[in-house]
Amino acid sequence: MSKTPEYLAMKSRTLTLTHDIPISKTKTYWEGLKKGNVYATKCKKCGEIYYPPQVDCPHCLTSDVEWIQIFEGTLETFTQAYLKPQGFTHYEHDYIIAIVKAAEGVKVMGWFEDIDVKVAKVGMSVKITAKTMPDGFPAIVFKPRSQNKP
Amino acid sequence: MKRVAVIGVGNSKFGVRSDATFPEIAFEAIKEALEDIGITQKDVELSVVGTVGSRLYEMYPVPLINEYTGFTLKGPIRVEAACATGSAAVFTAYNAIASGYVDTAIAIGVEKMCEVDTPTSTAVGGRGCYLWEFHMFGTSFACYYALFATAHMAKYGTTEEQLAKIAVKNHHYAARNPKAHFQREVATETILKSRVVCWPLKLYDCCPISDGAAAVILASEEKVKELKAQDPVWLEAIGFGSDTGNLTRREDYTSLRSARIASEMAYKMAKVEPEDVEVAMVHDCFTIAEIMAYEDLGFCRKGEGGSLIDEGQTWIGGKIPINIDGGLKAKGHPLAATGCSMIYELTKQLRNEAGDRQVPLKRYIALAHNVGMTGQYCYVTILKR
Repeated sequence: MSKTPEYLAMKSRTLTLTHDIPISKTKTYWEGLKKGNVYATKCKKCGEIYYPPQVDCPHCLTSDVEWIQIFEGTLETFTQAYLKPQGFTHYEHDYIIAIVKAAEGVKVMGWFEDIDVKVAKVGMSVKITAKTMPDGFPAIVFKPRSQNKP
Repeated sequence: MKRVAVIGVGNSKFGVRSDATFPEIAFEAIKEALEDIGITQKDVELSVVGTVGSRLYEMYPVPLINEYTGFTLKGPIRVEAACATGSAAVFTAYNAIASGYVDTAIAIGVEKMCEVDTPTSTAVGGRGCYLWEFHMFGTSFACYYALFATAHMAKYGTTEEQLAKIAVKNHHYAARNPKAHFQREVATETILKSRVVCWPLKLYDCCPISDGAAAVILASEEKVKELKAQDPVWLEAIGFGSDTGNLTRREDYTSLRSARIASEMAYKMAKVEPEDVEVAMVHDCFTIAEIMAYEDLGFCRKGEGGSLIDEGQTWIGGKIPINIDGGLKAKGHPLAATGCSMIYELTKQLRNEAGDRQVPLKRYIALAHNVGMTGQYCYVTILKR
């Protein structure tokens, strides 16, 4: 993909940047995705639900949360990505990125599958699941619920 | 708070600037700004440099920019607020003067984006929220704004044709701006038939990846008198707003709350109403963003942004001419340069120096709206002459 510059240019030395992101505190979430489940956290003191999950409640300044599974919601918005950033160019499908409002009130981002972008409609009911991609990365996946089908 | 004026402005050529490094591009803007008011670096007490810098070969670019452009001893402050970085630099310089800390300051916005390839640029830029969004879903900024476009279309019936009209207008004016990245007009049909980037946004709905720099020299009222600055433009107000880092924690996807908050603050500070504004620069990184800006700034009612462009009200001669320098969409969007470039254009407009693109003014009130990411940051600046 490297372009031929119109003017003189020289290559910089290569920088490889890969991080070891700590997930000890959110292990339940990442383990859940492997089993197809999506979790949020709920503060045991004030009851606030957090998605993306966080183990610290900024309202109460406490760190005592329970994990709750979220199952379904309604489609709030979506797009189909034909432009793929570095790290995603090996995926052949043009994934649909969507935001779904879960029954619990929180919103979740994920890939909308088993649907044509031209058929997708704001307000559709979807199931919230997860899967592991062949390259090992997790993905949250929305599936249309049966009542949406013609 | 002291009154603060814009006394000098400079803007490099925007575009794919393979001919120059980032300090060399910063130099172009700074030289023009110093010559604009006829002072030297010695007369400027503080240098505030904005750069997102995530695509640079340098990780700590600011001392190098200051050194190259003759500002070594001016206490560089680096600021970063994503695509609103330029306004964050102006905001910081403004506050240093308004508080009485210094009497003169320069705000510089510089960005070099085209030294890395497009998938890399998209990957760096798409890290709006890496852990919960990019890591799993490969988001890009085109995707983020496409999510707003879909929601706006579903709720208000905004159409792809209305989005295309924004691009037609902004390309029309860019073709008349020698500093713009794109120097050509584009027909509606070409826009509608261009390849889909992130449905429903097509290639011509998106701003280009650009290199560029812009600089703004600010001074206190006392300093304006001392320098006998001929045509000061007063910074009447800078409002600021912010919102959640995770897009999933937003109330909805048809408006930017930070823009509503920032504009409300700015209108109140400047004691003006949206109807008083005679020319505006708004953050049209994608065509849908300009439509939302019309609504969030109160130039029309919520949901009526599409009608405003249909009626041609944001062209010169309309109710409120907007992005008549080509906007981010066609002038280009070198992230940190954008906020300073908006002040550059509005200063030229308020001084009646905008040539073919001059808006006829009566009240001499102008507004700049600069958004960082999808509204994580927003600054709204009101200028008067």
